[in-house]
Amino acid sequence: MIRGTVIGQVWATRKARGLDGQTLLLVAACDAEGRATGRLVVASDTLDARAGEDVTVAFGSGARNVLRPGAADNRDVLCDAAIAAIVEGAG
Amino acid sequence: MILGRVIGHVWAARRDARLQRAKLLVIRPHAIYEPAFPTRHLVATDDVDAGVGDDVIVCLGAPARASLGSNDMPVDAAVLGVVDRVEWRADAMQAAGAAPGIKRALPALDAVSK
Repeated sequence: MIRGTVIGQVWATRKARGLDGQTLLLVAACDAEGRATGRLVVASDTLDARAGEDVTVAFGSGARNVLRPGAADNRDVLCDAAIAAIVEGAG
Repeated sequence: MILGRVIGHVWAARRDARLQRAKLLVIRPHAIYEPAFPTRHLVATDDVDAGVGDDVIVCLGAPARASLGSNDMPVDAAVLGVVDRVEWRADAMQAAGAAPGIKRALPALDAVSK
């Protein structure tokens, strides 16, 4: 997972059916100290994160486990990055 | 997923049998997406009929294969959606450290949101 800051949201009308119902947020990826790196990732959100909030983003099967827990049967979930937690503090 | 703009097509007469029906697009990622090699582009399959100039959401890895209906496709990137609106907060970006790379790239996104 990585740390990042939510900076906005993306909408798409014409999309794959598996993307229906997913909220797609723009996340600016941070380095270990919480500074922005200049990289953007589009992550699916189930935790209702808002712009300006710090989050952790899970990739790969970890992201699919956020949307549908149960690694065995979620290979068909169309998501490669998902917000796993909203960060309140880091030390 | 990453956000990028379609900048072209790739044609191939000789290709893997599983790719016979696939449309291949060349995508330039917005901001600074860094793939394994410093290519500044990626090639993705397209099932949503995106065209050159469209901003798109590109999925990488296993979900890209799943979107084509099979887990054994020789593919690792797929266009999943055509973006029609992007909303972003400049102040949130500044709070994130005001990365100059993002500032340069986002005017392109601004154009999408109009």
